[in-house]
Amino acid sequence: MNQYKMAIIGPREAILGFKALGLEPVYATEPKEAVEHLYSLRREKVDVEGESISKYAILFIMEELARDVTAEDYKKLSSEPLPAIIPLPGHLGTTGYGLQKLKAIVEKAVGMDILS
Amino acid sequence: MAILNINPTRMALLGLKKKIASAKRGHKLLKDKQDGLMQKFMEIIREAKKIREEVEERLGSAFKNFIRAGSLMSEEFVEGALLYSTAKTELTVKTKNVMSVRIPQFKLETSGDVITYGYLQTSGELDMSLQSFQDVFPLLIQLAEIEKSAEALADELEKTRRRVNALEYRMIPDLEDTIKFIQMKLGEMERGSIINTMVVKAKIEAQAQ
Repeated sequence: MNQYKMAIIGPREAILGFKALGLEPVYATEPKEAVEHLYSLRREKVDVEGESISKYAILFIMEELARDVTAEDYKKLSSEPLPAIIPLPGHLGTTGYGLQKLKAIVEKAVGMDILS
Repeated sequence: MAILNINPTRMALLGLKKKIASAKRGHKLLKDKQDGLMQKFMEIIREAKKIREEVEERLGSAFKNFIRAGSLMSEEFVEGALLYSTAKTELTVKTKNVMSVRIPQFKLETSGDVITYGYLQTSGELDMSLQSFQDVFPLLIQLAEIEKSAEALADELEKTRRRVNALEYRMIPDLEDTIKFIQMKLGEMERGSIINTMVVKAKIEAQAQ
């Protein structure tokens, strides 16, 4: 059984609260920055019993940053089972990005949108 | 359908027959896998939507409180107050195998308290927002688990569907056509050789008379 870490990517003022919960805050205000952080966080590995596993299990990212991550980047980032990259709605309220992503997943799997 | 580029011989026919048998078996297995994946996916996806909607609602209000707290207090105070947090989160991950798709299962253990600062210099909004953050947190983990699973399943479903379709609409009909073609060709050759012998026999008989 391994211990994993979680990280949250977003603007400083929004994610400070999550720091108190024990998540690792990674500050980014620009989508470009966020993507770079995602790549470097994903690359971080730790050695456990001779096996190299991903250090982070979950990477939360603010929706307004996640929205501008290109599909290509996203595909590369989520190719492995861990870490999971989860967009969260920010203080501005939801942008609907999360549900949109779910819909895309359904469409990929079933062939049409059956959620609505 | 296309006929494969192959010599119409008995050997090739035997090979093709073996190939079509395994293709059909593979097709059946993949189809079963697809059904299994779809069943699992349907279970998960509605729940994912429900959790996602709940998270969006609750996190929105938590953020509002936090921003309000940040506006009432100076940033140094907020950060200072949060520095003393004794909250620890431990996340353990197990992977479960569903139809050869590895899906993660997160287990969260939290200990300690988030609110460990003096109440004098901090505002009530901060307490409220931190409390609500802490309340939503398990839900976030659940969301992460379920969304990642749905994503992995969707990926695998797409791949499997492609394979099933390739077998069903391309490989198996092609093989069937080729087998039929070879059988016809062989029959034709057989008839041809019978006619040949008949002609030769008739000529010999005609010479003997």
